[in-house]
Amino acid sequence: MFATIFSSVESMLVVSLLLTPVVSGLLITLLKRKRIIETTTVISSLLILTQGLFLLPYILEKKTISIFDGTFYLDSLSAIMIITISLVGFLASLYSVNYMGRQYDKLIVDGKKLVRYYQGFNMFLFTMLLVPVSNNLGIMWIAIEATTLVSVLLIMLYTKQGSIEASWKYLLIATVGLSLALFGIIFFYYANSVYDNSFDSTHGMDWTNMVENAPHFDPNLVKFAFIFILVGFGTKAGLAPMHTWLPDAHSEAPSPISALLSGVLLNCAFYGLLRFHIISSHSIGPEFSNTLLIVLGIISLGIAAASIYFQKDVKRMLAFSSIEHMGLISVSVGFGIFLGIYGALLHVINHAVVKSLLFFSSGSISQKYQTKSIADTSGIIKTMPITGFMFLIGGLAIIGMPPFNIFMSEFLMLSSGFSSENFLVSALVILFLVVIFASFGKHLLHMVFGNPKSEMKKEDLGKLSILPMIILVSIIFIMGIYVPEPLQTLIEDATKIILVGGINS
Amino acid sequence: MSDLLLPTQIDLLHVSAVILLIATFGIVVRRGFSDWLHAYRYQTIILAGIVALIGFITSIWELYIVSALTLGIKAIIIPKVLFYVTKKLDSPIKLEMNPYVSLRISVIASALLVAMSYFMALQLPISSDETISVFLPVSFSLFFIGLFIIISRRKALSQIVGLLTIENGLFLFAVVVTHGFSLIIEIGLMADILVGVIVSSILLFRMSKTFDSIDIENLESLRDD
Repeated sequence: MFATIFSSVESMLVVSLLLTPVVSGLLITLLKRKRIIETTTVISSLLILTQGLFLLPYILEKKTISIFDGTFYLDSLSAIMIITISLVGFLASLYSVNYMGRQYDKLIVDGKKLVRYYQGFNMFLFTMLLVPVSNNLGIMWIAIEATTLVSVLLIMLYTKQGSIEASWKYLLIATVGLSLALFGIIFFYYANSVYDNSFDSTHGMDWTNMVENAPHFDPNLVKFAFIFILVGFGTKAGLAPMHTWLPDAHSEAPSPISALLSGVLLNCAFYGLLRFHIISSHSIGPEFSNTLLIVLGIISLGIAAASIYFQKDVKRMLAFSSIEHMGLISVSVGFGIFLGIYGALLHVINHAVVKSLLFFSSGSISQKYQTKSIADTSGIIKTMPITGFMFLIGGLAIIGMPPFNIFMSEFLMLSSGFSSENFLVSALVILFLVVIFASFGKHLLHMVFGNPKSEMKKEDLGKLSILPMIILVSIIFIMGIYVPEPLQTLIEDATKIILVGGINS
Repeated sequence: MSDLLLPTQIDLLHVSAVILLIATFGIVVRRGFSDWLHAYRYQTIILAGIVALIGFITSIWELYIVSALTLGIKAIIIPKVLFYVTKKLDSPIKLEMNPYVSLRISVIASALLVAMSYFMALQLPISSDETISVFLPVSFSLFFIGLFIIISRRKALSQIVGLLTIENGLFLFAVVVTHGFSLIIEIGLMADILVGVIVSSILLFRMSKTFDSIDIENLESLRDD
């Protein structure tokens, strides 16, 4: 076993990628001093990011990496997830130093809770990284369920009434939802075992094995199973109408965690859904799952549009905006053509970047204004110029203004809707996007340019809170103009995987 | 599973399925916190027995280990954790005083759910042998009754018990249909459940400290209006 770890650079990278957050979590448990645990987390997440980036050329060159007899399996689709997780993870750890430091100074959290926060942060990164690297769908399910358990602990960190309520709802709904997904996984496994008599239980659940055998599955069983999977992982991915836990959980969590939940965790669950979408498309053709994805996506967009219009709380508004974007991604994958899937995968990255920027800036804003209410937060640009500017950029980007990155991916997704001749769906998407544009825009302008209600010192909250936002804004600008060459190839490869299910293509 | 089962084995399958259902109804008909936990423990012990029985019939040795794990983690450790939690809770009354659905109607509803599960199991495109035809409907019943417990009760603890019942149903389903996952996944699942129970116990403590009760009626303040 150990021989295989050291057999190649990329397998060593994958293993150390997974070990880094575990080691750092252990160190935090031992060391406990505020300064030290902060630096440990920042360094470990920086290490994760660099390891993720070092993995990129290998995946671009070899297309797939398989370690431990196929227990870990990475392709371009996993690579997109790893890059997103590690990028947002690193920036969130950087932002945490300032944000949690302030909460510590204000006596909202004590030293013990701070240790728990950073332990949870590292374990959260670990469980999320485990999702895209595991080939065995059972292990993937275990990892996704583990993300729920870890994030529940992070959401209830403040132990206010609201956070307890949010974490309880989240725990219940997500666990019940995921148990449905496990039903679906068992059905797929059963379908596989019926076809392949010689299977051994270790590899019968591997994604690669299932995709290979998929054409021989019983079609009725696959349809049945995919519905379970869709409801199950859809719950965790925030697709309406199973989204009810999401606005509570995302708005009650500490802001860096909200960024991780919205920007990355939803994508992890959607990634699980995509893997089964590929199996199902390979087995019974893509129409069945495409239609279901489009329907759920449209419902999500509609509910998000209505909720954003009437929203009074900043973080809840951002949470509903995440539902909107997950819906958009789901619809666009459902269009089932190259352009649409390419746009959706690009959007996964773009949304993660923009949503983290918004949660970081709104975290600083609500720390300064002591409220999350939209009505009471006005004139940010006057009281905290830099953060206000960042918030403005993020807000304009998220509603799809050019020249920012989300405009690019939304444009791709919409044009794919028209070229795949889904006119009604595309028209509905445009309608909802316009409603969201108007209502989000209204809230945004009020918050940024209104008159501050009370006299406040004109001051931003520390360099370390600004730095991650500056990095994110520059990514937003760059990705708005062009997508870097390696990333383009990566997304193209991943799109091909979804379209043709190709393991060896 | 090619060879035919002995009549005694078939009897054993049927009897164990019935006892499993009775234990599940034990959760539905009782009000006391500790009654639920006892019922859950019986349910899990029988489940472990069923897994061992299927292991014997199919001669898959991994199932014995899975059965032992079930007994150790789900029948001993988890009830112990939850008994400890109920003992430490501040509220003096440890009963479900007025659930959203009265106990009498709950029993009828659960009976209907069992009937529905038998109907559903017939519709599924799963090839049927003796163990599957006996246990598939039972596993669905456990799932639906667990879901029903979650939505019909007021106390947060009963929701945890409901979740655990759902999980038992899933576990039975997996063992019956696929003869269990590989051992590593079973261990991972057990670890997930154990951590889940611990996390929800922490939440229960917090809840009873903050709200002075574990009534989920307190948990309705976050909404959009």
